[in-house]
Amino acid sequence: MAPKPPSGGKGSKSTARARKSATAGPSSSSRSKVSKRPPSKQVKTKPGVHSQTQKGAGTAKASKRKQRTYTEEELKLPTLNMITPVGVQKPRGKKKGKVFVDDKESMMTILALVNAEKEGQIESKMIKARQLEEIREARRKEMEKKKEKKQAELEEVKKDLKKGKKRRDAPQEKPADGDRQNGDGRKNGKPKKRVSFA
Amino acid sequence: MRALTDVETQTLFSKLANYTGRSLTQLIAPSDSTGGDDDRHVFRLHESRVYYVRLSIANLATSIARDNLLSLGTCIGKFTKTGKFRLHITALDVIAPHARYKLWIKPNGEMPFLYGGNVVKAHVGRWSEDCPEHSGVVILAMDDTPLGFGVTARSTAEARKLEPTSVVAFRQADVGEYLREEDTLFTT
Repeated sequence: MAPKPPSGGKGSKSTARARKSATAGPSSSSRSKVSKRPPSKQVKTKPGVHSQTQKGAGTAKASKRKQRTYTEEELKLPTLNMITPVGVQKPRGKKKGKVFVDDKESMMTILALVNAEKEGQIESKMIKARQLEEIREARRKEMEKKKEKKQAELEEVKKDLKKGKKRRDAPQEKPADGDRQNGDGRKNGKPKKRVSFA
Repeated sequence: MRALTDVETQTLFSKLANYTGRSLTQLIAPSDSTGGDDDRHVFRLHESRVYYVRLSIANLATSIARDNLLSLGTCIGKFTKTGKFRLHITALDVIAPHARYKLWIKPNGEMPFLYGGNVVKAHVGRWSEDCPEHSGVVILAMDDTPLGFGVTARSTAEARKLEPTSVVAFRQADVGEYLREEDTLFTT
């Protein structure tokens, strides 16, 4: 801070003059300046006036210092947590509106991308269809095998039955005949307890 | 009238790629083209409809006011309000030469198809092998005249086992629409 008069605003003019004269020396011009000074001294306390007084000496330095300006990014200030609406944000340096595709090369690029995607889809579809077909074929074969097996069993049973009937019929016929023949056998005192099925 | 954006281009191409194979590149860069830049064909969007048009004609069309311009080149289809793309029957001439899967129908099946019916197995003359289900297919008469396009209901292997009355392809567009939809086909 600049040196201040000890008494401030209250200090009398006479005391101030006396001090100044004592320090500044005997020149008349200085005296005249000193005589004008008191109001300026009072103003000196203000920061603006103070800089004015220094301006003469440090203008070049100040201009040099002013050249260095910091951007907000350099200062690494914390960003405010603000909500920026979508419509407000405008990317700079970008074309406004739609981006058209009219040149052959970019169209070909898009087409190649689309084609590759489509081929992949078709390929996967084909693979899936083939796998499903294989599964279906395997299931069909299994079913056929089962059916054949069942049919074979049925045929066997049928054959057995046919044979069995003949076998059973043959021995059954005899006793039947015998029964008929021995229709009077019971009466003769031969109790025959026989039960036959089929 | 304007060129398509990249998203629109992708949507359009993925739709076209359902029906066509790799030769779709011929649409953008035809191999037999000898002329300069004016000779190539481009896609232009006008009132949600996409047109496939020669560049020189598209440039000429810029001198016509938007309200007065009804149509130019070949209409491929239109963008729906949800951003999907719907192919029109007018695109048949563009996709038929580059078709990935084809299905030929017998003469007795032509009329039912042209009246808007799906393709039943009994009407199929022949079909492309190894065609998976739900894939785009171009439907042709036995003399190779393109009649329309649709989506397969079953894969070729499955379709062989089907009964004759079952549907093998769902119709999406047929040339009968030129008569049936005459009033609305070219209006916006």
